[in-house]
Amino acid sequence: MSDHDDQEMSDRSEVITLSFPARADLVVLARFTAATLAARAGFDIEEIEDLRLAVDELVVSFEAVQAGGTVQLRCTQSGTELLIECTVEPGSDADANQGIAGGELWGADGELSKQLLDALVDEHGREHRDGGPCVWLRKQRAHSGR
Amino acid sequence: MTDRPARGDDGLDRFRDLTNTKDPKLRDELITSHLGLAHQLARRFAGRGEAHDDLVQVASIALVKAVDRFDPERGVQFSTFAATCVIGELKRHFRDRGWAVRAPRRIQELYLEVGQNIDRLSQELGHPPTVPELAAAIGTSEDAVLEAIEAGRGYRTASLDAPDANSQTMGDSLGSVDSRFGHVDDRSVLASALEALPERDQVIIRLRFIDGLTQSEIAGRLGVSQMHISRLLATSLQRLRASFTDDPQSLDA
Repeated sequence: MSDHDDQEMSDRSEVITLSFPARADLVVLARFTAATLAARAGFDIEEIEDLRLAVDELVVSFEAVQAGGTVQLRCTQSGTELLIECTVEPGSDADANQGIAGGELWGADGELSKQLLDALVDEHGREHRDGGPCVWLRKQRAHSGR
Repeated sequence: MTDRPARGDDGLDRFRDLTNTKDPKLRDELITSHLGLAHQLARRFAGRGEAHDDLVQVASIALVKAVDRFDPERGVQFSTFAATCVIGELKRHFRDRGWAVRAPRRIQELYLEVGQNIDRLSQELGHPPTVPELAAAIGTSEDAVLEAIEAGRGYRTASLDAPDANSQTMGDSLGSVDSRFGHVDDRSVLASALEALPERDQVIIRLRFIDGLTQSEIAGRLGVSQMHISRLLATSLQRLRASFTDDPQSLDA
């Protein structure tokens, strides 16, 4: 990829939002969307594979995946950087919203999830926003000039 | 009159000689003279999503084993015995390496092509290829490459204990790697969680998430492709999640 292409890419920012039932068999939608944007940002195939694992991790961070809520995924590509934010609207199970706070699925405070994401992306976090709990990750293309 | 079965077209006497002498040259000759059978049987399994070269390799290894195991005194022609062995090995290959989730044939073939080109281009370029580079090398669209990669989740990962062309298993390679873990901080949550996994899965996860090796580095160390490591990681993380949730289907899509 040339410097000219890089410049064009850095000027470009695109946002894709997805909303889908929090079911394990639909996580493929999140993976594919993230991989498509990453490819457009010039990520290499190994970075994309890591990103796909990270997206799995991001989505599964919510216990709501098991509880039947709705996943809201927002992918933002800014130049050679990708930001993926994931929130879940709880389903009828009132306890579903507690997954993000307690991190029960991956051990106390989500430490295990954190350790995995540390290796897969540049930055990640979990926080409460107006719309509810949110987990996010940021990954930058490692090498310029491809 | 002798009790020995009559000499057949595939030379039972030569196998008797091999049994008696263990002559490596004779063994090679017998293998070579029957390679056509291996190729012929491999062709019967073509078009099922596996590379032809891989099938020939599996069939050829099975043939070698058949030559070594054949007992000429059992009254069976070697070709009959070898065909049974080779077909059995090819079927096992598909059982271990086949598609758990049925993908269209064009996607299966493209997935194989993508995997081969990732390793080739990584060597040529000195870095893992991008999707546009892969698409250009294969002569397909970027969307098709991404579709094939995603479909790869439906491809069963070969057992680490399955022998490769050199009769080595990836488990053998892992043995030497595993000894390096003395420096790992086993107090980490991940290290504790790994105890729920089979040892072979632990090694792959440790190399990636604790030692910080890239997929390519792990692949190089274990002598397998980067895509193979990618599948192993995805599968191992699924198992890890399942062990936490008691849900064997966790993220199995």
